[in-house]
Amino acid sequence: MKRCFTVMMSAVVIAALSPTLSAQWPLRPQPAVPKGPDGKPNLTAPAARTPDGKPDLSGIWMRSTRTEAPGSAPPGRPPLATFGNVGAGFKEGLPFQPWAAELVKKRAGALENPDALCLPQGPLEYHSDPQPREIIQLPQKTLIIYESNYGIRTIYTDGRRLPPQGEPQPYWHGYSVGRWDGETLVVESNNFRGALTGQPGDGWLDGRGSPFTDALTLTERFRRVNFGNLAIDVTIDDPKAYTRPFTVRVEQEIVADGSEMIEFICHENQMFLKLTGRG
Amino acid sequence: MNIKAAVLVVGFGLLLAGRPAVAHHAFSAEFDADKPVKLTGAVTRLDWTNPHAWIYVDVKDETGKVANWGFELASPNGLMRSGWTRFSLKPGDVVTVEGVRAKNGSNNANAAAVTLASTGRRLFAGSSQEQQP
Repeated sequence: MKRCFTVMMSAVVIAALSPTLSAQWPLRPQPAVPKGPDGKPNLTAPAARTPDGKPDLSGIWMRSTRTEAPGSAPPGRPPLATFGNVGAGFKEGLPFQPWAAELVKKRAGALENPDALCLPQGPLEYHSDPQPREIIQLPQKTLIIYESNYGIRTIYTDGRRLPPQGEPQPYWHGYSVGRWDGETLVVESNNFRGALTGQPGDGWLDGRGSPFTDALTLTERFRRVNFGNLAIDVTIDDPKAYTRPFTVRVEQEIVADGSEMIEFICHENQMFLKLTGRG
Repeated sequence: MNIKAAVLVVGFGLLLAGRPAVAHHAFSAEFDADKPVKLTGAVTRLDWTNPHAWIYVDVKDETGKVANWGFELASPNGLMRSGWTRFSLKPGDVVTVEGVRAKNGSNNANAAAVTLASTGRRLFAGSSQEQQP
């Protein structure tokens, strides 16, 4: 009965939304999108490759809205993270150090969430924000431009190694280097601004504030499954905040309808500050 | 339709549309999900601003006293992806807004659904609550 209701209501919503088509943001044709016999984008076609034969991760990506119950990930596949909770897929939650578990409780009021303050989001917030991100893969580096909160990341793929922890000034996005392992781009990052700086917004992995510290080494394995799908397995190795490393997955889907990135200027009219008595 | 059903419907519709509403902020710090409001009145202004668009509506109470209410919508980029522009509403349009009230007790609310009285068409479907944990 509940399902019937949902299906019925979905039809109502689709009907309500359909007049919007004429008013959409102008679409640009995308000749590189593979098409099926019906002329529609073929999202399961093989991924594009760069001239040197590597998979090409370039494109505009939206997070997948697929979710799963805690503990239901199939064997061998990391559980899905959500924007709000990196540990959503673990039955037992995240392996917090005691102080980190306490901090998550304190952060429940969420006033220091970097996202709320229009500051750069945490690495997994950026991966799973409902606003898109554009990956631009170049021979010596890969750039990720996040539509949310001015995020721009450089991943160096010129063979350099990670700098020693603590050597460069710590970055909001960390310092990232990438290398190819077969079909997978493996990106390691360190030198993050961590939760122990005491600065508002530092060290939030996700929307509820699961922390990370300056001891974090983040490993992201990007694999373009096919034309339409990107799987990112993210390993958080931060012995100061967690009792053991853990790995979660974020899934993203290509934007193939010709829509593009749109600017998002977070500070323009920040009513959050006024409504929470901060501004 | 009660507020809960409306929120469910809007949320599910957005899932299907694959273009979720966009929020950037701590919804629970600003708005109280347990204080639903449903108000009708004439639009006085539409602010097509980041990080959230706002509409302002003159709402008359039972005594005839008029108060100007502000309603937070999704962000312009999210609204544009849902097919709406800053010309989708103009001053004088009568709308019914369903949403939840600001925690600080001011005449502000987060809009889950905006319905245009003249056509019954729903505008700006999409609360900025969607992104929260």
